[in-house]
Amino acid sequence: MSKGFASSRRLAALATGIFLCFGAIGLRLVQLHVLDRDQMLAHAVKVRDSTIPLAAKRGDILDARGDILATSRSLVELAIDPWDFVDYADYLRETRPAEAEAILTAEQHKRFKLAELIGVPYAQIEELYVPGYREVDLEKDLYDDARDGRTKIRWVKLHAGVEESVYEQIQHIAAGPSGEAYDALPKAYRGAPRGLAANRAYYRTYPRDQLAAHVVGFVNKEGVASDGMELFADEYLHGYDGWRESERDGRRRELAEYRRREAPAVDGWDVVLSIDSVVQHTIELELLDIATQYQPDRAVILVTDARDGFLLGLANYPTFDPNRFNESSAEERRNAAVAYEYDPGSTFKVVPAAMALETGAITPSMRFDVSLTSINYQGINRTFIKDDHPILYPVTVHDIISHSSNVGAAQIAMRLGDQGLFDAAHAFGMGEKSGFGFGGEIAGLINPPSKWSAPDITRIPAGYSISVTPMQIHQAMGVFAAGGELLRPQIIREVRDREGKTVFAFGREARRRVVSPTVADEMRRILMRVASRDGTARAAAIDGYQIAGKTGTAQKLIEKRYYSKTQHVGSFSGFFPATDPRLVITVIIDNAHLDGNRRNYGAAVAVPTFQRIAARLIPYLDIKPVTASSSPLLAMEGGRR
Amino acid sequence: MKKSNAHAVLNQLLIHALVLICVGGTVGLSRVYLRHRIAVTANATKGFEYELAQVERDLAEVNTQIARERSPAALEHKNAQFRLLLAQPTEAQILRIDESPEDRLAAKRNIQRFATEAAGGSAAVRFQVVDLGRP
Repeated sequence: MSKGFASSRRLAALATGIFLCFGAIGLRLVQLHVLDRDQMLAHAVKVRDSTIPLAAKRGDILDARGDILATSRSLVELAIDPWDFVDYADYLRETRPAEAEAILTAEQHKRFKLAELIGVPYAQIEELYVPGYREVDLEKDLYDDARDGRTKIRWVKLHAGVEESVYEQIQHIAAGPSGEAYDALPKAYRGAPRGLAANRAYYRTYPRDQLAAHVVGFVNKEGVASDGMELFADEYLHGYDGWRESERDGRRRELAEYRRREAPAVDGWDVVLSIDSVVQHTIELELLDIATQYQPDRAVILVTDARDGFLLGLANYPTFDPNRFNESSAEERRNAAVAYEYDPGSTFKVVPAAMALETGAITPSMRFDVSLTSINYQGINRTFIKDDHPILYPVTVHDIISHSSNVGAAQIAMRLGDQGLFDAAHAFGMGEKSGFGFGGEIAGLINPPSKWSAPDITRIPAGYSISVTPMQIHQAMGVFAAGGELLRPQIIREVRDREGKTVFAFGREARRRVVSPTVADEMRRILMRVASRDGTARAAAIDGYQIAGKTGTAQKLIEKRYYSKTQHVGSFSGFFPATDPRLVITVIIDNAHLDGNRRNYGAAVAVPTFQRIAARLIPYLDIKPVTASSSPLLAMEGGRR
Repeated sequence: MKKSNAHAVLNQLLIHALVLICVGGTVGLSRVYLRHRIAVTANATKGFEYELAQVERDLAEVNTQIARERSPAALEHKNAQFRLLLAQPTEAQILRIDESPEDRLAAKRNIQRFATEAAGGSAAVRFQVVDLGRP
């Protein structure tokens, strides 16, 4: 047997030492893991464990050509912690007295450069660096050295949000001798100024400012979708935030190796609208022109693809910039196209005329005596609203519409009857929401016949005693352009995921058939005369193109009590090419102020706007003229009969 | 003898204990090193994630800037600023044709070519034979 290499004393000493060490470790382990287990575990869980939220990116809103109307980007909020700088200065003077003043001068240079970068006066930054206190309750005064009812102010807001590129420059400010490479500078002379704090957050931004503001809507500062498409399509856009279970070290930095579980964030989908930025810009320019020229109370322009009912442009005056929504009034943010009601005036005349043709109550060749001042209807004498330009000979429905005769329209409505007129208005979408879906749409108002007063059968056909939204008149005119179907006005073309794959696609949606294609064709012929030489909208004419439409002028109802003699809502709703419609355009101007004796009628204020918009959109959308030979309809010859 | 045997056993035990400690220590150190490598890799991954997030943030900013610059209002402003005099064509400037544009352009070009030939003194159209250099 080997004698071994150590004496028994040495062995005993070594063994004792080793076992004492292990014993001590063992005891400590027992204390930590058995005796103090619950307390230590609770502390560890509290300090180390953390659930880190993973923010999902909100989807973009794109126009028909894929250009961004709304997107999200990060901005960096800047603040000053003046006490951090005070502590730093004290530390420097204590530990590096020889260099302290030079470094503090360099810090001053950094702040000067910071002021330049973020466009804030240097003096203002220096003011923010003055340390201060805030009064707090004694119980809450736990975060500084003394419990004296005041605490150090450690966050003084400097900038609401600088762009990433600017923040990058701030982080690389150099305050050393000029010409010296950034990396060669001592650490104290480079980087962001001491005491500058930053907080990164995602914000919604609208790169095209007020363009299509009422359609796009906005997300408020808390990130809550508040209006327009942002709110309507929030389900698609918002995405789902994720989370990650992990641990943090004593400085609250994540310990990536202790990541346990993770539910990744799911980014929101992109929503592609049917709005075309160029069309939208065109109509907004026209609205600006109208605002400058006429100072109206309100104006609305709508442009729709006649074939499928998708909106290409929707603009309201007044408007707002979604980037600065908090500076706008509720009135400016109101989407008047769907949330404003008015008496439509003569544009409504197409409704009884079309339905009377559809039901056979009248025929295109039937003539009406429009020189009458009153007529006996259902045993009561009803007085007509006088025509502005009385016609003394019997006329057809073509003449009634092209000359916008109130007397003629009332006689047509009387042939439909009270209930027939009420049903006709409903069939064309009046008194019910259009299905547009957002913007606080209202239904308008048309009372049931049981609530009508005696004059209503003469007033409603002329567009009084009935309230509609601009969208309702627009879609009613679209019925004739769409061959007799009432199309749902749509604005979302498709929804795409983050890879650009189409998730949902939306197409033409007919709400119902209102009139037959034959009657729709007849109405197109009638409406083409409105924009002819002897119609009320002769200024709408464009060489080589058949324009169809209807003017409207309604006296404004003041305080829901009386009709103003000077304030009017002028409008024009039309489509072209009449025989193969591509676009439906509606222009509504509420209380335009014209110079001199000019009257603010639809023909004077809305028709020229329609014509300019149409002329600009024809080449842009490549709308080809429809010649008489290729037309499925026969163009009617103009002229009084 | 007994004492020597006891020492030998103790020595054996001690050696085994030391070997155990060494092996245990090696295993422990390996485990620590492994944890360290995991931490380094995890931190590197975190760093890449941060860089990726930063790239996405920069991309979002650039996209926003591009969208702003491409807005119709901004383009019109630039048109005026640089006096480019660019304008949307009007319908009067557009000639609409029903035939194939390629055929039409070819015909137009050929008409011009023949007209040039005729103006040069020769009424007949001549075609030049190209020598391709073949035997």
